[in-house]
Amino acid sequence: MGKRRRFNDDDLFTEFIRDNKENCYRLAYSYVRNSEDALDIVQDAIHKAILSYDSLQDLNMLKSWFFRIVVNTSLDFLRKHKRVSIMDAETMEFISSGKEDHYENIDLERALDQLAPEYKSIIVLRFFEDLKIEEVADVLNENVNTIKTRLYRALKLLRIEMKDEMIKGAN
Amino acid sequence: MDKKLEELKTEYKNIPIPDELDFVVERALKKGKTNKRGYKWMAGTAAAAILFIGGINISPAMANTLSEVPIVGSIVKVLTFTEFKVDEDKYKADIKVPAISDSENGDLAQSLNEKYLKEGQELYEQFKDEIEEIEKEGGGHVGVDSGYEVKTDNDRILSIGRYVVNTVGSSSTVMKYDTIDKKNDILLSLPMLFKDDSYVKIISENIQEQMREQMKESNFEKIYWVADSGIEDNFEDFELIKKDQNFYINKDGKLVISFDKYEVSPGFMGIVEFVIPTEIISDVLVSNEYIK
Repeated sequence: MGKRRRFNDDDLFTEFIRDNKENCYRLAYSYVRNSEDALDIVQDAIHKAILSYDSLQDLNMLKSWFFRIVVNTSLDFLRKHKRVSIMDAETMEFISSGKEDHYENIDLERALDQLAPEYKSIIVLRFFEDLKIEEVADVLNENVNTIKTRLYRALKLLRIEMKDEMIKGAN
Repeated sequence: MDKKLEELKTEYKNIPIPDELDFVVERALKKGKTNKRGYKWMAGTAAAAILFIGGINISPAMANTLSEVPIVGSIVKVLTFTEFKVDEDKYKADIKVPAISDSENGDLAQSLNEKYLKEGQELYEQFKDEIEEIEKEGGGHVGVDSGYEVKTDNDRILSIGRYVVNTVGSSSTVMKYDTIDKKNDILLSLPMLFKDDSYVKIISENIQEQMREQMKESNFEKIYWVADSGIEDNFEDFELIKKDQNFYINKDGKLVISFDKYEVSPGFMGIVEFVIPTEIISDVLVSNEYIK
C-alpha cells in the first residue's frame, strides 16, 4: 500500500521540498553556522527522506516529519564534529572580542547558541519557523508537556519574558 | 512578541540563502529517485576516463608515460578494445588483450554457482561493451570527475572500481565495482560466489555488528544508520545488503562490501566499506577459489 501511495504523492513530496528548502536550509544553518555544512545537511536530509518516504503514514505529518529529519541530521553532524565546533566557538570569541559593537545582538545570539540543542531546537522551531507547540513536539518526538517545560526553561535562560498564549501558539 | 526574540527571529530570517541551494536540492531530489529505482550506471559518467583514453589515443608520449605507472598500466591492460589506436610500435608490449578461452570451463562449475555462470559471461561482455561505449560517447561533463581505481590485480582476478564525484556545493560519490575472473573471462557477481541466498543475512548481520562497533569505538565520530547503535534515529536503518550489493575482492582475498554515500550513513561518512571475515561465510561459499 505504501508503494502505491508513493506514485501518486511523489510530486507532493517534491513540491513540499521545493517550497520548504529555504526553511530547511536556515534550520540546518542555525545548528552548524556554516553554509557548506548546511547545504550538505539539506542534501543528506532529502536523501534520507526519499529513502524512508514509504514509511510515512500520514501525509499531514509531512512537514513535522521532514523537519525532524533535518534536525536529526544536523545533530548527527554536530556530534561528529563536536571538537571542531568547540574550537571554532573559541576562535570566534577570540576574533570577535573588541569588535563587539559591530554585532548588535551578539550577546543574545551567543546566548542562543549556548543553549543545549534540545532547548535551541524548540526556540527555533516555535518562534522562528512558527510551528505550533504540538508540531514542535512532533518534530522533536517528545510529548507536548516536555516541550512546554523545556520552552519555559529556555526562555528563562535567555531572560525572555513571555505570555502563555505566545508559548502555545493558539492560532 | 518579546523584543529580544523578535530581533533573534530577524537574524534568523536574514540568514543568507546561497545560490547553490537550488542546485543541491534539485540534485538530491533527482538522485534520490534514481537510487530508488535501482542502480543505473550512466554512460556520461566516466567522462574523465574518456579524456584519459582519448589522451592515450592522441598522444603516444602520454600513453608511454602512463604505461609505466603501475596502476594505470593495469587498467590499460584490461581496457583493450578494437578502436584503441595507439602508436603500436611504442605501446604494443604493454597491451595484453585478455586471452579468450571459450568452452574450457569444466572446472569452473566447481568454483562458482552454476546457476549464474552464463550470466557472468554475459556481464563480462557487457562490461567490455560499456567501456567501448564510454569511448564512443566522447566529450566531457564539467564538474564531474571520474575514473578508475584498481583494488586488486593478480593472476586470477581484477577488481576495479569506477567512480564519479560531483563537486558543486558539496560532493557525492558513486562507486561501481567490477570483479573479473581473468582466466575465464567472467564478471563475478555476488550470488555467483555462494551456494544459496543465505549469504545475504550472514553478511548483513556481520556488517551491522561492525557498524555498531565502529560507532562505539569512535565515540560516535562515525555514524551509521543501524538499529541498537546507541543513537536514536527513527529513519530507515540498514537491515540487509542487496543480493547484488557492490563488492570487490581485496588483495588478501577477502570479500569487501561497499556502500555509496548516503546508502547506510550520513553524507560526511562518504563511501563506506566493510571487510567480511572469511570464516563466517566459508560454509556458504561455493569454493575458496576467489575468496580466501
